[in-house]
Amino acid sequence: MTTTGSPVSAPPTHQGGAAPRHRNAPPSREARRRERRSRWYQRDVKWSPYAFVAPFFVFFGAFSLFPLLYTGWASLHKVSLTAPTDMEWVGLRNFTRLFEDDFFWNSLGNTFTLGVISTVPQLMMALGLAHLLNYKLRGATFFRVAMLAPYATSVAAATLVFVMIFGRDYGMINWALGTVGIDPVDWHNDKWTAQFAISTIVIWRWTGYNTLIYLAAMQAVPKDLYESAALDGASRWQQFVHVTIPSLRPTILFTIVVSTIGATQLFGEPLLFNPGGGPNGGPDRQYQTLGLYLYEQGWTNLHLGRASAIAWVMFLLLVLIALVNWAISYWMKKSELGRKAARRRS
Amino acid sequence: MRKTRTTRRAVALAAVAVIGSGLLAGCASDDGTDSESGGDSDGKTVITVGLFGTFGFQEAGLYEEYEKLNPKVEIKQTVIERNENYYPQLLTRLSSNSGLADIQAIEVANIAEVVRTQADKFVDLGKADGVTKEDFLSWKWDQATTQDGKTIGLGTDIGPMAICYRKDYFEAAGLPTDREEVGKLWAGDWQKYIDAGKRFQEKGPDGVAWVDSAGGVYNAAISSSATRYYNEQGDVIYKTNPDVQKAWDVAAEAATEGMTAKLQQFTKPWENAINNGDFATVSCPAWMLGNLQSKGGEKAKDKWDIAQAPKAGNWGGSFLGVPEASKNKEEAIKFAAWLTAPTQQAKLFAERGSFPSAQASYDTPEVAEAKHEFFDDAPIGPIFSQAAKGIPTQVIGPKDQLIQENIVGTGLLQIEQKGVSPDDGWKAAVKAVDNALDE
Amino acid sequence: MSVLKSDPAPAGRTTAPGSGGDRPGPTPRGGGKLSRGRAGSAGGQHHGGRLTYAVLIVVTVIALFPLFWTAVAASRNNTRLAETPPPFWFGGNLFKNLETAWTDANMGLALLNTTIVAGSIAAGTVLFGTIAGFAFAKLRFRFRNLLLMLTIGTMMVPPQLSVVPLFMAIAELEWTNQLQAVILPTLVSAFGVFFMRQYLLEALPTELIEAARVDGASSLRVLWHVVFPAARPAMAVLGMLTFVMAWNDFFWPIIALNQQNPTVQVALTGLGRGYVPDQSVIMAGALLGTLPLLLVLTVFGKQIVGGIMQGAVKG
Repeated sequence: MTTTGSPVSAPPTHQGGAAPRHRNAPPSREARRRERRSRWYQRDVKWSPYAFVAPFFVFFGAFSLFPLLYTGWASLHKVSLTAPTDMEWVGLRNFTRLFEDDFFWNSLGNTFTLGVISTVPQLMMALGLAHLLNYKLRGATFFRVAMLAPYATSVAAATLVFVMIFGRDYGMINWALGTVGIDPVDWHNDKWTAQFAISTIVIWRWTGYNTLIYLAAMQAVPKDLYESAALDGASRWQQFVHVTIPSLRPTILFTIVVSTIGATQLFGEPLLFNPGGGPNGGPDRQYQTLGLYLYEQGWTNLHLGRASAIAWVMFLLLVLIALVNWAISYWMKKSELGRKAARRRS
Repeated sequence: MRKTRTTRRAVALAAVAVIGSGLLAGCASDDGTDSESGGDSDGKTVITVGLFGTFGFQEAGLYEEYEKLNPKVEIKQTVIERNENYYPQLLTRLSSNSGLADIQAIEVANIAEVVRTQADKFVDLGKADGVTKEDFLSWKWDQATTQDGKTIGLGTDIGPMAICYRKDYFEAAGLPTDREEVGKLWAGDWQKYIDAGKRFQEKGPDGVAWVDSAGGVYNAAISSSATRYYNEQGDVIYKTNPDVQKAWDVAAEAATEGMTAKLQQFTKPWENAINNGDFATVSCPAWMLGNLQSKGGEKAKDKWDIAQAPKAGNWGGSFLGVPEASKNKEEAIKFAAWLTAPTQQAKLFAERGSFPSAQASYDTPEVAEAKHEFFDDAPIGPIFSQAAKGIPTQVIGPKDQLIQENIVGTGLLQIEQKGVSPDDGWKAAVKAVDNALDE
Repeated sequence: MSVLKSDPAPAGRTTAPGSGGDRPGPTPRGGGKLSRGRAGSAGGQHHGGRLTYAVLIVVTVIALFPLFWTAVAASRNNTRLAETPPPFWFGGNLFKNLETAWTDANMGLALLNTTIVAGSIAAGTVLFGTIAGFAFAKLRFRFRNLLLMLTIGTMMVPPQLSVVPLFMAIAELEWTNQLQAVILPTLVSAFGVFFMRQYLLEALPTELIEAARVDGASSLRVLWHVVFPAARPAMAVLGMLTFVMAWNDFFWPIIALNQQNPTVQVALTGLGRGYVPDQSVIMAGALLGTLPLLLVLTVFGKQIVGGIMQGAVKG
């Protein structure tokens, strides 16, 4: 699905290297210069990719590798936040105990349902909004910045506003329901209402974020693709489906990967939804996610070892999802090829 | 075209410049670490104070006063509003001996854990100059003292408990309204407080609950018993402790009988309910008064009054400690001792309503004659002094807060908000507590 | 105003990177053989209709409401905020609360610090993300796929826990309470690398790089004259997202810094410390912390413009 780059292996100055050489007629200064340039050029082509990716890996190695290794090491130990360097070896116990940990499975389930009901609508809406923003608009910059306003709003303000909206006794939604004669809903205490409410917060917060990502990609779609599609009589909708979407495929893939990771680590929104402010996700843990459970174990219960194990399980879970994804696309490609071959044969 | 190119270059240059300046700023602040090295350009000693919540030292003018008394000292404070953000930061910094303030506050809910696990990181304040053990309530002193007698924190405020009640609702329900009589109504037993609630439910105004939350009732009841979640040997005994059971039963009854407004304390809906007068009583440690006043506003003025709680108890309070890593230990110790001395504690009570842990201050006029205008001039000094003297010496343990939060936030809340039976609520609470305690 | 700026460049104008200006550069040759030209803000081919504006305005109102309400709350007082229904229009305390928040939270220094921090992190993420993303998208080198997988993999580890070991490292370096403690650990991001890679896969025609290479352009030249112009919209968006993230980051700064040298979020944690926490002052602080951010976003937002590549290959 991707066009992979093909660096040019034959630079124009290459012929310099093939300049005739005679032992007693030293190469002209020009030729030597060209040769030097050529060698330099080849080295440039060979090594510059490494130079380009190096800063990321250098900074990552300097500041993220140690925390990663520490977390991995801590997951095999009993260790408390009161003394983070004082570890007691427990082997895989922090992992095996998760099998019997009801709270873990509960949060895993919540993470999954919340992930689905918040990620799918969010990405669809973002795609639509990006398409609208990609029109010629008056005040385009204003709309773009406004899209990002939810992401920029401080958590303290968002918390207060959503408490006002979803409050049981004095919330705005229940007030509105009351005016049409519907009984108030206790948004926080029922599992599904709570998850619905949280997913609206997630959608509110992140749709604009993804919208801008799509918008950037749309800016790069070649105009003549639209022109030729229009010449073929394609409607705006058909252009969107047949020109915009295919051109956005790498970016859509990107948002799906990032949103999946984000959904697995979902943390801030359920935390701010809890009126008490705690990480337990309600009295019945009805909206505790893996991210919150990890936070509760690490920062409230101070069990760094257990929290680290949860973190690594979340990581492995994502790797698993990636592998399954890869396998599915592999098989689909293969069967498609098989079908094509079969068609050709017949 | 040229314009875009220039813009682009400008943007790139700006980017590089910003990265550079960021690094520079970082390096520059290397030189500017006056707060850490402890001196600034005037040759003054800077004492940093790390606090959470609303101590109010600065607002009460105590820093200014100390700076006047000690012209060579300058005080700077760092405040993190919520202890749940403050405490992990404190632990992280203690474990690395880095970035600590010269004086760090510790909440009573965390003091046992700090005493048990971080004692070697703090200075012994027990024998410091200007500190008199006898000035403090003995149980407060002991809470911050290790088994081998090292005192790592000096008490600031405590939370002696009373009951705040709405006189207008009491009158409507045919209950007494005078604070002495109201106190007698339930003196000695939390069960009597629930019984009074039943009377209130029958005759009281519609739509007004007896009490804000089951959790509030539980916190108040458990705060007045001598034992809670640990025994003297440091074992966890909450499952079998009759004191815990009693407090639980009282709170669970309030929940199942529908006496509560089903709120969680210190949340927005709870504030709305205070403002709308949705409940008639609330457990009132001294620091609670400010909440009722600021959320209730003018329309609630003189409607609230304060009576003694069924049993005297303590809910909340803090300590000040000096980390060994402090670069100004001598000055910090002196300042901590001064801040927690009876005179300053009395001033803080007069200005801010934080009730002193220094019992020597109870006879000063600032405390003995204190009245609260918002609460119909209730004599809060005598009321809370009396409560403070009756507070039992409690056995505390490192994970008290965790246990209590799970009992309230899981068990009682399930009963109250989800209609779970008390037995199932208790089971859910035990499950949550056990999970939280199991390292 | 911005309408003009986002206009695609007229088709005939040559804006080939490196060829249009007065300085010599690698001019793509034989571009005519390329089948597709790169258009300016390509989708901008249509004007938005009324329905478009209607939808966008509704979305904008929903997006901005909490921010608007922050300002309303900041103009009231603690008691009024506890009342029901809550206020929906401004009261008279705005300036008083802003002043309290400004002085209590050490806001001047906090804003300066946060600008440095978020600016550095955004610049670093965009710069390093673009060059690494370019390498992963368009250059061939050994271990490319492995390194890319590794990069994406680093995003999958939950960030909440790394705070503890990271603080140990920072303490070891004696960077506690100093800005580099929050800048350097997040100066690059896997998110940025991956984002730019995916964007450049489609947005940067390989033919353009080849053409520049044929002209003997060095890698840096290609980067400067081909990659950066093509990446501009994505760089702007990545800059916005990163800037906001760094501006609002709370979890790590509150561990690493204190209020003598705070970022905005660290400064705000100390707000509202009255007799009881004063919500209206807290909201005033939140407002002070958010408005400058929106100004910066406006600058970035204008940069989400295609069109640089217009005509580059049509020649």
